Amino acid sequence: MLQAGPAIDIITPHITDAHAIDYPCLHPGFVCELALPRWTPVHIGPLVLDMSPTKHVVWLGIAAVLCLITMLMAARAHARTTFGGSRAPSGFGNGMEAFVLFLRNEVVIPNVGPKGDKFTPFILTLFFFILFANLCGLIPYGSTATGNIGVTATLALVTFVVVEIAGMREQGAGYINTIVYWPHDVPVPVKSFMTFIMTPVEIVGKFTKPFALAIRLFANMTAGHVVLLALIGLIFTFKSYIVAPAPLAMAVAISLLEIFVSLLQAFIFALLSAVFIGQIRTAAH
Amino acid sequence: MHFFLLQESVQHTAEAPSGGLLSPNGGVMVWTLVIFIVLLLVLSKYAFKPITKAVEEREKALSDAIEAAQRDRDDANRLLQDQREQIAAARDEAQKIIADARAAAEQVRGTIIEHAHGETGELLDRARREIVAERDRAIADLRLEAIDLAIAGASRVIGKNMDDQSNRQLVESFLASIPSSTAAPRAGV
Repeated sequence: MLQAGPAIDIITPHITDAHAIDYPCLHPGFVCELALPRWTPVHIGPLVLDMSPTKHVVWLGIAAVLCLITMLMAARAHARTTFGGSRAPSGFGNGMEAFVLFLRNEVVIPNVGPKGDKFTPFILTLFFFILFANLCGLIPYGSTATGNIGVTATLALVTFVVVEIAGMREQGAGYINTIVYWPHDVPVPVKSFMTFIMTPVEIVGKFTKPFALAIRLFANMTAGHVVLLALIGLIFTFKSYIVAPAPLAMAVAISLLEIFVSLLQAFIFALLSAVFIGQIRTAAH
Repeated sequence: MHFFLLQESVQHTAEAPSGGLLSPNGGVMVWTLVIFIVLLLVLSKYAFKPITKAVEEREKALSDAIEAAQRDRDDANRLLQDQREQIAAARDEAQKIIADARAAAEQVRGTIIEHAHGETGELLDRARREIVAERDRAIADLRLEAIDLAIAGASRVIGKNMDDQSNRQLVESFLASIPSSTAAPRAGV
């Protein structure tokens, strides 16, 4: 039987942000915390910004660095083995190329439409950045930066801005039709009525898409970790080593599922961004 | 993973940043934006562009190679076709030459045979003409001899030597009076 200790919330600290990062050490529990520096908040008008690095910021940076290393290695593998592009690279370079090409040929170009190739770097960066941030949460002592609503909201905002700018550049003055609903094939009274009803819907729709993007990624990444920790917590709830194998087996299964979910959510975020860009570029009201 | 945190010895020394699970932290958002934009710029310049460029070059090289191979195959096919046509033409020509030669030979043969026939006829005609001439001459000689013999015989019979000149005329007129029945079959030879 385990010693009954005071009830401690193990889930909330794991999924929320902190001003400290965990690292492995030989202290009891095999975990130590490194306090991150605290900076005085910056005041920009009415805004108060605490720019102190947090656990999620650090892990976001680690994900970005891993992403950079991976992609730059892939690019170098290309430069080294392809002899001026006449041959395919082998191994690692080829694997990353498969990712890049799949996203370009199956996600960006069919969804964004003609001349969609200029959005490829954006969609690819979204995919790899989110993927690495998701996967960082699965390594021991790691933390899921994409389980932070601030991170996902920022990525969704970036997508929102890119989508709207793509719409403005593609449609020019016609962009206003994506905000004000003004059908051309009905009489004016009906048109006015429709405009009155539909314009708020259009505007809400504009903000719903990035909102859904942010919530979907955040919720998926958080939920997986909550489930994992809840399963582990079963051992302590039952206060018995005998039941331990069952929750552990389930936790392993959920961890494997999390690897899939990490890939899936990164892909969905990238795919939907491409779809939104394509929608606004072809929108005709 | 935090499940070891159940141990009392581990304390959360740092308090959570402002904002709970569902309220975004401004600082984190700014950091995210900065990291994302830097990543986007660096990756698009140093990673995605070279990879995409390499892939495009390779696709181009492949399509070029395929195109060249197709062109070569078309050329080879065309050359083969040309060769076949030339062989067929040569065969036709050979056949034609043989046919021509055969026709020419036939013609020469015909000419030679015809010529031979003509020559034979001519020889026969000449032989016939000579035979007729010889016979005519023989008949004339025979006549002269007959006149002499008749005169000699007649002179013996009448015992009187007749005037040579008048007798001769008499006999000649006699002979002329004989119908040339002996000469008639001559024309039929």
